[in-house]
Amino acid sequence: MTDFAIPVTRSRRSELLTALFRSGAFVAGVSIVFFWVFCSLFGPYIVPFDPLADDVLNALGPPSAVHWFGTDQLGRDIFSRVIVGSRDILTVAPLALILATAVGTVLGLLTGYFRGIVDDVVSRLIEAKMAIPGTIIALLAIVALGTSQTTVVVVIGLSFGPVIARTVRAAVLSERELDYVAAAKLRMENSAHIMFIEILPNILPPILVESTVRLGYAIFAVTTLSFLGFGVQPPSPDWGLSISTNYSMISGGYWWTVVFDALAIASLVIAVNLTADGLHGALDD
Amino acid sequence: MTQNAKSLDDLRSNLTPIENHVIDGYVEGRVSRREFLRHGSLLGLSLPFIGRVALATGFGTASSVARTNVQPGATIRVACTASSAVVIDPVRGAEQGAILMLQQVGEFLCVSGPDLVLKPHLATSWKPNQDGTVWTFTLRKGVKFHSGGEMVADDVVATMDRLADPKNSSEALSVFKGILQKGATRKVDDYTVEFHLDNPNGNFPYLVSSDNYNAIILPANYAGDFEKTWDGTGPFKIDKYIQKSGASFVRNENYWGPKALPAKIEFTFYQDIQPQILALQAGQVDIINKLPAFAGVALLSDPSFEIISIKAGATQGVHLHTHMGPFKDARIRQAVAMSLDREKLVNGLMKGRAVAGNDSPFAPIYPSTDPSVPQRKQDIRKAKELMRAAGVEKGFQATLAAPNTQEIPAFAQLIQSWVKEIGIDLKINIMDRKSYYGNAVPGQSPWFDTEMGIADWGHRSVPNVLLTALLTSTGTWNTAKFQNQEYDTLVKGYTRSFDLDSQRENAGKIQRLLLQETPMLFSYFFDHLTATRKGVVGVQPTARAQLFLHGAGVE
Amino acid sequence: MSWARRTSTMPSAAQSRFSRCFQEDTMNRFLARRFAHSLVTLFVVSLLVFFLGQILPGNLGRAILGPFADLQAVEALNHQLGVDRPLLVQYGTWIWHFIQGDMGHSYLYSAPVADLVVPALNRSLKLAAVAFLIVVPLGIVGGVVAALNVNRPTDRIISICGLSAATLPEFVSGIVLILIFGVWLRCLPIAAAWPDGAGALTQLYFLILPSMPLVLVLFGYIARMARAGMIEALDSDYTRTAVLNGLPWRKVIWRHVLRNALLPTITVIASQTGYLIGGLMVVETLFRYQGIGSLIYDAAKGKDFPMLQACVLIIGITYAVATLLADLLSFRLNPRIRMGG
Repeated sequence: MTDFAIPVTRSRRSELLTALFRSGAFVAGVSIVFFWVFCSLFGPYIVPFDPLADDVLNALGPPSAVHWFGTDQLGRDIFSRVIVGSRDILTVAPLALILATAVGTVLGLLTGYFRGIVDDVVSRLIEAKMAIPGTIIALLAIVALGTSQTTVVVVIGLSFGPVIARTVRAAVLSERELDYVAAAKLRMENSAHIMFIEILPNILPPILVESTVRLGYAIFAVTTLSFLGFGVQPPSPDWGLSISTNYSMISGGYWWTVVFDALAIASLVIAVNLTADGLHGALDD
Repeated sequence: MTQNAKSLDDLRSNLTPIENHVIDGYVEGRVSRREFLRHGSLLGLSLPFIGRVALATGFGTASSVARTNVQPGATIRVACTASSAVVIDPVRGAEQGAILMLQQVGEFLCVSGPDLVLKPHLATSWKPNQDGTVWTFTLRKGVKFHSGGEMVADDVVATMDRLADPKNSSEALSVFKGILQKGATRKVDDYTVEFHLDNPNGNFPYLVSSDNYNAIILPANYAGDFEKTWDGTGPFKIDKYIQKSGASFVRNENYWGPKALPAKIEFTFYQDIQPQILALQAGQVDIINKLPAFAGVALLSDPSFEIISIKAGATQGVHLHTHMGPFKDARIRQAVAMSLDREKLVNGLMKGRAVAGNDSPFAPIYPSTDPSVPQRKQDIRKAKELMRAAGVEKGFQATLAAPNTQEIPAFAQLIQSWVKEIGIDLKINIMDRKSYYGNAVPGQSPWFDTEMGIADWGHRSVPNVLLTALLTSTGTWNTAKFQNQEYDTLVKGYTRSFDLDSQRENAGKIQRLLLQETPMLFSYFFDHLTATRKGVVGVQPTARAQLFLHGAGVE
Repeated sequence: MSWARRTSTMPSAAQSRFSRCFQEDTMNRFLARRFAHSLVTLFVVSLLVFFLGQILPGNLGRAILGPFADLQAVEALNHQLGVDRPLLVQYGTWIWHFIQGDMGHSYLYSAPVADLVVPALNRSLKLAAVAFLIVVPLGIVGGVVAALNVNRPTDRIISICGLSAATLPEFVSGIVLILIFGVWLRCLPIAAAWPDGAGALTQLYFLILPSMPLVLVLFGYIARMARAGMIEALDSDYTRTAVLNGLPWRKVIWRHVLRNALLPTITVIASQTGYLIGGLMVVETLFRYQGIGSLIYDAAKGKDFPMLQACVLIIGITYAVATLLADLLSFRLNPRIRMGG
């Protein structure tokens, strides 16, 4: 039991929170993220139109007082679809990220703590995996296993695990030389105990920062996969899917069918980055 | 309306009973002038002859198609759709790009025009025998192949045999099945050919017309290397062909007819419609061969472009498994059919460039369609009653598989929302087109195996192919697994009937039976659209997505 | 390999003669080591690809033909693809053929994969080249400017822009760019399809817009690396010495600082090849460019596993080659690495 850790953590936590809320970037980022989370949870109840209700005689109408974002090819209200469309991305990306963090943490702890052959082999494997872009590996796996939300979560999770593992490994490498680890070893604690109970709580900050950064990339990967048609199926209002269905229309002047979905994705991605940036800044002090 | 009885009698004295029956219909007012023109041409009565009959009966002359004042020597650039695996082969070619290329250099015995009137082309006239089992075609003299030789009966016989030979797996087999076999095309003399049919067929000449896009007449010694030789009889000769990219053609100076006006025509292949629209908007091409109404909506209302519209029998057929699965009961299928809002499909989905269909291959444009059969409309209340009667009031789940082509994904979503109202929870599975059709046989094709599926059917001048291939018990494309003796008999009766009256009578019976059984939904038949830059004239598309450019030019 | 450890004295003449011999020996050893390293990576990549493409689908024939397919048809296809042989044999055959140039037969296009992949790779390389041509100078300039204005607003703006752009999906930035430059301003073509026989300048014109999403994604990271290298170089003893010796500021930056700042940037550029290629898939689909990205996409849509496997392995090879070249380049440029530092 490390007696040093707890009081340090407590005061550190309040320090952290103050630092966070002083950072304009962090506040902006978190607000936007919370806005989209709210939309994904309560969207269907607050939108003016049913996102799946087609009205094909009013297809491709420009933004107006009735349809704030205009209508799409089947006459569905785009504003409602953009709001409700946040649901898919905000379910899949965080789930994938949680999986990635879990996998990465375990891998990082193992390689960082044991070093030696385990470290060498796993590092080589990770390096090899980095040779192929995550999106393409995900694509290959999805084609092999079939398109489904679960497959996307698992594939992206396993794909990002190694990247998080690298950060965790680096953190573990510096922690394992510290006194409290030596003390635990002297007490004959087993390796699992040392890794997960001693070291892990102390490396949470870098894991947290890395995860938040990776969340941005996870959103990137998931929306790209839906855009390519390997995510949800129609008639889902998912942003990536909407853009892929409608982008061929922009040369005809129907810009509203894609611009709002694109702005939604951009805002979410930038918000997550600002949050990660803020966290990084606060935790580094 | 004065009838010159004596000259009419003179004209009619040499005709067969069938031909006379048609004229009777015309004279007695049962057949419109337009239909008389068409049916007369079908039976091989020459246009001038028809004109004389019309004169004799006092109905006036047939109008001629005047050539607009076009400057010769233009270079016309066309955009068309061709997949990355396109193969320009007269026997096997089936996709838009291939069909278009074949028709530039090759020609047919006769050509099916926009109003379904058959015009003589490589054949100057044709005649059925007494019962319609033997059709005799007289060939045009002086037609030369690009490679040099003259077209004679041997070439026609070889061409038809090649298409009817099951070993060659031609698309044309689906047209000739049960009608024309290998060896049934016989030379009478150098300029006369006889077709000996398995069964009497009143619509036969359409089956060797431009409608049957594989039936371009090739030299008898054709060795299967079309992409190298491009040997045909047409007004254009091959200039350059770059595989998967495009082709260009130049005027054939030795053409048997009036020389083509353009000096050169260039075709570029695209995989999708969107780059074609971009190319037309940017001025890189002058014509888009086939413009879908849904994806091309931007051009439809743009004044800098002209849209040539041809009424066609193209349709997206929705099949429902009839012997198994959730749609086993005919009442359920009727309910599904009644949940569709055909008005919205025609005006909303197809932007008005279509007509409502009545769940049978008999499109309104076909003269043999019985117009007295009531048009099915959306009726949610009745549909719910039917669902209740069939015992599925609570609804059920089903899957709709469809190819990612044209407006089909949007159509599928509309169906999904409509059947939701009668309790059916439909899951949509949109697949890549090639994967969806697979090998086009049961067990190797999602199209065949899915309980509800959509398929895209191109235009045909007569409903025969769809009637037989899609819904008869032995039909090659019977994805609905429809097995109905009465239907098979009625279709046989239809294909054998010659005059319009009996064709229509049979059609009516078929239409009513299909409304009852509803193995397939034919909810709309859409027009063929060709888009041109303003100022490009003389362009003659066919509903089969072919393009006659011999009279084209730039104003 | 640590770039940071530097000596602040120049080697004397005698030392250089000795170190030159030492350099060549070390370089050869380094080369050999790096090359072996690449081979190992490629081997692992090929195993990964093989696993994903042959093993993961389970029943490969079933995966290609679909859930309703006839059992006989599935078994026939499986036999044709050689799936019923032992795994080791399958892997061996695949690799052996691949090395000889036979990359398998495409199920979708009914043609040898190699015939399709080589021209596609060519086209993608052109696009990548244009993207690099734009982003490398842009990124370096951005990083240098940020470093020279460190912690001031200019620096923060460049950093945030870079970071945001990096995580913006290419199809999002691509579509916005298409709207602005292709539809509203009409100054750049929307589809990367130049007329046959177009010259290099025309091709460049058509490739500018498609390369922009890639530029945006890469800019942030390159700028960040350049900035970091620049800051370190500015702080180093050597720079201070040069300034104290009276060299004009501009010369200091130009001749010494930049060189050191560029080293990490070069490695980073190579490591970004991965992201670049991932982005190619989206960009090529969006702009309808027949490169290897859109080839992979078509193969994925059509479940053409032989083609998918071959293409992904090609990408792995490209990445390995790129990193190898980058390491060689930085080895040459950095005298201290040769000393084994």
